[in-house]
Amino acid sequence: MIPPIVLLVAFSGIFVTLAIGIILGPISKKFAYSMGMLGAGLGVLVSLLVLLGVGTVSIDLWQLTLTSSAQLQLSQFNSYFLLVSSLVWVGTCLFSITYDDYPNALSSLILLTILSMLVILVSGDAITFLIGWETMTIASFFMILEGKGSHEGVRHAAYLFLAFGEGSTVFIMLAFSGISSSVGNFDFLGPSSTSAIGPIGSLVFVTALIGFGLKMGIVPFHMSEWLPIAHSSAPSNASALLSATLTLMGVYGFMTVIARFAHIELWWGWLALVVGGISTLLGAMFSSVSEHSKGLPAYSTIENNGLIVVAIGAYLVASYYRITLLADFAMIAALFHAFSHSISKASLFLTNGWISKIKKSFDLNNSEKVSGTGVSSTRLAGLFTVLSLSAAPPLAGFVSEWMVLELLFQSFKFGDLASQIIGTLVGGITALAAGVIIVAMTKVYGFGVLWSVRAGKPKENSQDSLIVGSLVWFLIIIVAVGAAAPAIFLLASNAASQILQTHAFDTFVTGLLGVPAYFVILSGNPFGGFSPTFTAIFLLAFLSIPAIISTYGSPWRVRRTGGWFAGNAQPTSPSELYNSFGYSIPIRIMFRFLFRTKESVVQVGATWRTMILLPEEYVVELEVVDIFKELYDVAAKWALWLSSYLSRKVMPGRLSLYMVYVMAALIFVLIYILFTVG
Amino acid sequence: MLKVWILRGIRKGVLTTVFPKAPPTIAEIPERSVPPTVAETSDWLTGASICPTKAIRSDSKMVDLERCIYCRCCAEAGFTFDQAAESRTKSLQAKLNVKSQLDEFTKRQGTIRRSLHVLMIDVGSCNACNHEVLNLANPYYDLTRLGIFFTNSPKHADALIVVGALNKAMTDVLKRTYESVPDPKFVISVGACAASGGIFQKTESFVSPIQDVIPVDVVIPGCPPSPIQILEGLLLVNNRMSKEVMTR
Amino acid sequence: MSLLPKYVEQQQVDEVGGSLQLSSIFKASGRTYTLLSDTETNKTILSGVPARLGEEFGLQLKAAEAVAGSPVNLDAGTRVEGYGVFTFPYGPVSFGVPEAGGFKLITYGERIVKVIPCVNFKKRGIERLLVGWRAEDALFVIERSAGNFSASYSTCFATAVENMLQLDVPSQAKWTRAVAIELERIYNHLYAFSRLAEAASQNVATSQVSALKEMVLRLNARYFGHRFLFGLNRIGGVAYSISREQGRELEKSIRTLTREFSEIVDYFLSSRIFLDRLQDTARLVKRDAQKLGAVGPVARGSDVPWDDRLMCPIEPYDDVYVNIETGVGEDTMARTMVRIQEIQSSTVVIRELLDKMPSDGATLSSQSGPKRKRYDSDDFSLCRIESPSGDLIQVVQLDEQSRVSNLHIRPASLVNWLPFAKSLENNVFTDFQFAFESFGLYYADSDR
Repeated sequence: MIPPIVLLVAFSGIFVTLAIGIILGPISKKFAYSMGMLGAGLGVLVSLLVLLGVGTVSIDLWQLTLTSSAQLQLSQFNSYFLLVSSLVWVGTCLFSITYDDYPNALSSLILLTILSMLVILVSGDAITFLIGWETMTIASFFMILEGKGSHEGVRHAAYLFLAFGEGSTVFIMLAFSGISSSVGNFDFLGPSSTSAIGPIGSLVFVTALIGFGLKMGIVPFHMSEWLPIAHSSAPSNASALLSATLTLMGVYGFMTVIARFAHIELWWGWLALVVGGISTLLGAMFSSVSEHSKGLPAYSTIENNGLIVVAIGAYLVASYYRITLLADFAMIAALFHAFSHSISKASLFLTNGWISKIKKSFDLNNSEKVSGTGVSSTRLAGLFTVLSLSAAPPLAGFVSEWMVLELLFQSFKFGDLASQIIGTLVGGITALAAGVIIVAMTKVYGFGVLWSVRAGKPKENSQDSLIVGSLVWFLIIIVAVGAAAPAIFLLASNAASQILQTHAFDTFVTGLLGVPAYFVILSGNPFGGFSPTFTAIFLLAFLSIPAIISTYGSPWRVRRTGGWFAGNAQPTSPSELYNSFGYSIPIRIMFRFLFRTKESVVQVGATWRTMILLPEEYVVELEVVDIFKELYDVAAKWALWLSSYLSRKVMPGRLSLYMVYVMAALIFVLIYILFTVG
Repeated sequence: MLKVWILRGIRKGVLTTVFPKAPPTIAEIPERSVPPTVAETSDWLTGASICPTKAIRSDSKMVDLERCIYCRCCAEAGFTFDQAAESRTKSLQAKLNVKSQLDEFTKRQGTIRRSLHVLMIDVGSCNACNHEVLNLANPYYDLTRLGIFFTNSPKHADALIVVGALNKAMTDVLKRTYESVPDPKFVISVGACAASGGIFQKTESFVSPIQDVIPVDVVIPGCPPSPIQILEGLLLVNNRMSKEVMTR
Repeated sequence: MSLLPKYVEQQQVDEVGGSLQLSSIFKASGRTYTLLSDTETNKTILSGVPARLGEEFGLQLKAAEAVAGSPVNLDAGTRVEGYGVFTFPYGPVSFGVPEAGGFKLITYGERIVKVIPCVNFKKRGIERLLVGWRAEDALFVIERSAGNFSASYSTCFATAVENMLQLDVPSQAKWTRAVAIELERIYNHLYAFSRLAEAASQNVATSQVSALKEMVLRLNARYFGHRFLFGLNRIGGVAYSISREQGRELEKSIRTLTREFSEIVDYFLSSRIFLDRLQDTARLVKRDAQKLGAVGPVARGSDVPWDDRLMCPIEPYDDVYVNIETGVGEDTMARTMVRIQEIQSSTVVIRELLDKMPSDGATLSSQSGPKRKRYDSDDFSLCRIESPSGDLIQVVQLDEQSRVSNLHIRPASLVNWLPFAKSLENNVFTDFQFAFESFGLYYADSDR
């Protein structure tokens, strides 16, 4: 047995290493990132130990109020999230050691963001949580400002991120005040807190949904997710952090708040299902028509977070109807999807980021030749990432997506007709989104990473074994999480045991039909089941037969020829190749009501002569718009107008007017006291 | 309306020829597809000067079928044309170009009997041979019953059918196409233009017979050869023609 | 100085005072000539226009000027700018275009912005080859210049040479030539329809109509010895004759065939799926058809009623009634209807030709030798024939030994390239095959 002091030391070690890294960042970024890697590695270790039941950590910091104190605590629930985040942080820091060619300050900012996320995850009370949340927002703001896009675009993106971030803080504060007013103290985030919220529960739920949804990127707040990443061209390691782990903080916060409720209303579940379903579909749609190698994964994050919210919604409805089997499965599905999404998304950002850096372009239509050692390993890692995000068995993404869909298939078990209908419709939307996201994933991988013109001089890149190492790290985790899914199920059920009060692992992981125990995951009893481990073994065996035959069997000749271009020579420039824009044109045209597609062909520069047409020039354009962005632009215009109106008319700087305001406020307060006290 | 088509089909009967189970009929080998035969009255020198494509060789006293465009000019020089049904339907004009490597050819044929995928490439023809090759898909000949199918891409093809007199602009294209066809592959050249340039030998754009650019397995002379004659050549590749016929 | 008529690529149709005027421009060694054909006067006149107008044709004439062996992209100067625009090569080897020639489609996805025809892959330089050949030998090359238009090409050439030599060609020969030309028209239109049905995956229609086409080819072989009518013509006459009984058989076969075709067409034109592919695709408006000088079923489908059989008839077309209808709608459907209707009218024409065919002489070639032996250097002879794809012009000059000293062929497909490119603007990829088959463009025809 491991004495608890070891856990404590390791836990503090995380903070210490990160702090050292932040301080020494401006001097040497490689050192900073190595410190970050070390700290994240300690985080993996500690969280695994806690999850496996070795012990918990709880540290009281200082007294807040009479009844509550600031705490840092590590229980099984938040150590699950710490595990996921730390795995991402290890890979990202490893990647950044050689990838980063930004100013040294960026390394400090990244480590500061990581530290603040750590604080969020391990905080035991609302105040520490909010401190961490704010620090994270501000550090990310500065991180985004380091982006390499146009100056205007970078500032716009950063300020937008800050605005939405502050908005989320406001709503979270509201939610926390609601909770604390009914619970009575501030340190309700630990496992030992009671959960009785009372009549303002709906208000708390909605504000929490909005507040954490702003960070997760749920429609209609998704602009805070894709715009900063896409338009600022933030550095890839920052984008990976923003998309994968920042949104995970939103998930963690939301789930923590949900766990505090003793009494759940039905319409909460409906709201979460609908909002999550719409986010899933819209995220997938916009992802498949995006041409930005960062914007596309950013939209896909919206889709995946939507899936998590859908799972939580199903949990809420099932809990309302006390269908414990379904509720347990829903919670595990949400947790599992958080794991698989974070890992896959971080890996996708890093893969794309490196290739985009070599090509010096974020445009997916830029198919210049890329070569070098390590590019093929990158392509392999990218392939598995994309397969995982497209839900291909037996990888991580498949298991979690399967779980969510199985969940919605069982919506017939809900108590009343309305819930069943909503569950079915949301299931349909989710399945559609799962199909559309495949277009997006093949696009971003095929055009962004894999294909290029054959002819021409390739862009050089230096050999980067650390970058490749980080991508291989993610690759291993993706495959492991997929193939050894029952093990992750165990971790997730340990994490969820505080919320569910049951041990879901025993219910859902069994042996079936000859497959030995602990290898089959059931989705209901009885409903469906699947063994990822055995699928992986079967695939490996099946695919290795031709490999062995071709290596050791009769020697097959291999002859390589070029591509077939209808008899023409190999294309030398990207404008002769089918490109990513053309690949997703059918979606833009089919869903023109959603995208407001406009096609225009304008003839400039030639006229009809009497008999013949002279060489013509055309300018063609096809544009799609995000209707929510239009709405936000309108709202932003109004907000600016309102604030300038207020600053001109209401607060113009005239002392006499301010005196009037002071007098009016004094009178108001006096009247109020008179009426309430008297 | 469906029953209209079924009834129409039954009423119309079977149009498809039974070739190769039976020899081709007269309607399938038109009168002008018969090559000149040498008679006692044949005057080689006159013939050689009359023939527009120099198919009549007075030195070796033979008619080079690869060059013959079946124009009947040599009738003036005493050559005859055997119109009798017997000989018309029994003469096989397609020729195997691999006499010395027959073993290798047989090995390459492998098990292609039931499925031969063919791509037609035109390198400069007058369009008549194109039509005749595409006519093989109509109900009268129906080449899919013999396991032969048309493809769009050389990467899916087993055999190339080359028609036309090789034009300078198409040499590279032909070579690229040939390279894209995976092994084992076959090449069939259809028509006098592909085999020798035909009437276009003297044009400024003619390069050479196809055999000089890519290795050809079967040569089918004619201008254009009738679809049955093309089918005979395809069956040589398809391994559905008997071996005695092949080595003629 | 000898007239070297080289380029008759460009033409325009105008309505002048109630009649149609077709003007074609020749450009030859610095001088430009206009060929005007008038429906009212039924005459063809040649006049000179200032050379400056000829300079405007630089683009279009590039194709004719090009040397054999180098592919040419018509309209390649077109520039298209926009995000995501790329060029899609529908190259020399493809199944949809079964000849050596291709297109470059400028697109950003599904939408075709511009079509650039890539021609000249097959250019054999026939006009330059035949300089110095005897007319009889040249005929072998001419009829093999475009195999599926063999009767039209050889008739056109033979008529031009006979006019130059002022030979007495027996009427029976001329009427037999017309029968052959109409048979050729029928099988080419059947081929076009079967390819349209194949593009729409209407497999029953494809098989049935291609069986009908095969029947016509077998009729050709039976009555004229060759499936594609090679060897039909001689300078001075024809090599085959059709007796009365043969005529009745032929007419009966064609009639049965056409009736079967009408039944098939009636059924397939009531199929909404098939109609939907044809309607509103590749619209060529009348103004564009006139300005770009489209010919043949293309022009008639866009309501430009030009047909050589009516406008510049050679014997026997002035004696028989040829029913020309123009299409309404200017799209692929209109062109298809024009072709269907032409099959019907060719059947009627063949019947009339066979009924009224003069059986004056058993001899089919001219007995008397050429009457004229001395030519001025500016003398040329011109013949226009309505080939299945449109107006075919051949201009011949002979020298003293009756050898060809100059030849120019202006095929129908050559002038139809730009109308084709124009009609496809703003359509989608799937409309391409229908437009191509309904236009009836052949590379062997245009790259002579």
